Amino acid sequence: MDKHFAARRRRDLIIAAVLAALAALAPLFVKNVYIQNIMVLTLMYAALSQSWNILSGYCGQISLGHALYFGIGAYTTELLFTKFGVLPWFGMLAGGGIAAVIAMGLGYPFFRLRGHYFVIATIVIAEIGLLLFQNWEWAGAAMGITIPVRGDSWLKFQFMRSKLPYFYFALALCCLAWFVTWWLEDSKWGFWWRAVKDNPEAAESLGVVVFNSKMGAAAVSAFLVAVGGAFYAQFLAYIDPESVMGFQFSLLMALPAVLGGIGTLWGPVLGAAILIPMTELTRSYIGGSGRGVDLIVYGTLIVLISLALPQGLVSLLSRSKARGATR
Amino acid sequence: MTALLETRGVWQRFGGLVANSDVSISVGRGEIVGLIGPNGAGKSTLFNLIAGVLPPTQGSIWFDGENVTNLPAAERCQLGVGRTFQVVKSFETMTVIDNVIVGALVRNTVMRVARRKAYEVLEFTGLAARADVLASDLVPAEKRRLEVARALATEPKLLLLDEVLTGLTPTEAQTGVALVRKVRDAGITVLMVEHVMEIVMPLVDRAIVLDLGKVLVEGKPADVVRDPKVIKAYLGDRHAVGA
Repeated sequence: MDKHFAARRRRDLIIAAVLAALAALAPLFVKNVYIQNIMVLTLMYAALSQSWNILSGYCGQISLGHALYFGIGAYTTELLFTKFGVLPWFGMLAGGGIAAVIAMGLGYPFFRLRGHYFVIATIVIAEIGLLLFQNWEWAGAAMGITIPVRGDSWLKFQFMRSKLPYFYFALALCCLAWFVTWWLEDSKWGFWWRAVKDNPEAAESLGVVVFNSKMGAAAVSAFLVAVGGAFYAQFLAYIDPESVMGFQFSLLMALPAVLGGIGTLWGPVLGAAILIPMTELTRSYIGGSGRGVDLIVYGTLIVLISLALPQGLVSLLSRSKARGATR
Repeated sequence: MTALLETRGVWQRFGGLVANSDVSISVGRGEIVGLIGPNGAGKSTLFNLIAGVLPPTQGSIWFDGENVTNLPAAERCQLGVGRTFQVVKSFETMTVIDNVIVGALVRNTVMRVARRKAYEVLEFTGLAARADVLASDLVPAEKRRLEVARALATEPKLLLLDEVLTGLTPTEAQTGVALVRKVRDAGITVLMVEHVMEIVMPLVDRAIVLDLGKVLVEGKPADVVRDPKVIKAYLGDRHAVGA
C-alpha cells in the first residue's frame, strides 16, 4: 500500500513535468501576441491560485484578501526599483518576505476568528490596504508608479519587444507554486493543514499546534502571491493601487481553485486553464461596453460548480484520482 | 512509584455552574481505570481538563511527575496523553491512513516512518483493510476505532477513552473491549469514561464514580457496584435501601 502511494506521487510529478514541457514549447506554435498575452495571464493566475490554495484550500482558512499580498509584492518591487534602484529580482524576494511577515502579523489576531468572520476580516483588511496606497503620496497615491523601461534586459526584468520572457517566468512561477504544493502535501505541514481544516479540536489533541500551522500556511501563501505581484508589475510596467490591489485579484485567485477543486493539487491549474482564457475572450469579444460580463460568467460557473460538483472539476477525472486529490 | 496521572483538588466552574468540585484522583501506570457516573456528573469536564482542552478554575493536574495544569492540549499530547472524543471527530476529507498519520507525526517527522507507524497502528486496531477509504465513508463503529487508532499513533503513555464503547452492538462492544485490553497489554495506561456498566465493570481494574461534580466512591468494580451511595446516585433512594 505504501508502494501504491509512492507511485501516485511519482505519477503526479511526471504529469506535471510533461505539462510544463508542453507549455514551454507552446510559443513555438503560437505567434499571436494577443494569445500569448492570455497564456501569460493564465499561467500567472494558475500560480496565484495555487498559492492561495495553500492557505485557503489545504489549511481551510478562506481568504478573500490576497490582493493585499499581490499589491505588496508589486509595490515593494517598484518602489525599491524607482526610488532606490534595487533590481526587481531582489525586490521580488523583498516583497515576498514583507508579504509573509504581514500575513503572519495579520494572522496573529485573525486566526482566532472562525469561518465567516475570518473571511470578512480578510476582505476588510485588503480594502484598507487599498485605501492606504491610494492616499500614500510617496508611493504615487492614486496616480501610481510608471516603471521606466529602457530596452530589453534580464537584469532589470523588463522586455518591450517580446512577451516570451514574461511567459517563461510565469511558467516557472506556476511550476514553483505547484511543486511547493506537491512537496508540502506529503509533509508534516501538509498533514497538519488538512487536519486543521477538517477538525481543529481533534488536530490539537493529536499534537498539532493549530495556530502555528495556520501561520505557516499564511506565510508561504503570501510569499508566493507577492512574487506573482512583483511579476505582474514588471509585466504591466505601470502600477496603481486599483490595478494591483483591487478586489478582483482576490476573487481571481480564489475562483480557479474553487472551480478546479479547492484543497487539491491539480484544482487551481485546471481551474485557471479554463477560467482565465474564457474571461479574457469574453471580455474582448463583448468589448468595452461588456465590463462586468466576465463577472456574470464567473458567478454562473461558481453556482453551477457548487451545485453539481462541490469538489470541483478534478473530481470528474476519475474516482481514484478524486480520492488522491482529497488526500 | 508516583502515579502516572494525578488531579489535585481540581475545580471547574462555568459561570454559576460547578462542573467539578475538589476532584482528586490518581491513575497508576498500567491500570485500566473507569470513570463513571450518571449524566451531568462532570465526567466529560474532568476528561477535558485532563486532556488540556481548558485549564481548571482551581487545582492542579500532574502527568508523569510534571505539572501540566496550564499546558495546552497539543503539548500534553507530546508528553504522552492521547484521547478520543465522545462525538467522533474524524478528519472527514482524509483517508483512514492519513487520519492516523496526523497522530504518528508527533513522534516521527520523516513521512516514510510516520506512514509505516500508521499502518502498524491500523493493523493493531483491525482497520488495515480500510486504510485507503475516506474517513467519511466509515460506519460508526469503525469511526470509533479510528479515534482510538489516531490516538494510539501518538504513542501515548495514557490513553483517555471517552465513551468509545457506548452505542455499539454487543459484538462490536466485545471487539472494543478486546482492543482496550490489547492496548493495556501493550503497556499503555487507560482512563475511560463509560456509561454502560455491564461492559466497563469486567474490564476495569478500578472504578471512580463521579456524582454532582465530586468523587463519590472509588475502588474495585465489584465493590463499587454494590456501594449504596452509587446505587442511590444512579437509581435514587428507594433502590439503595433494597441493596
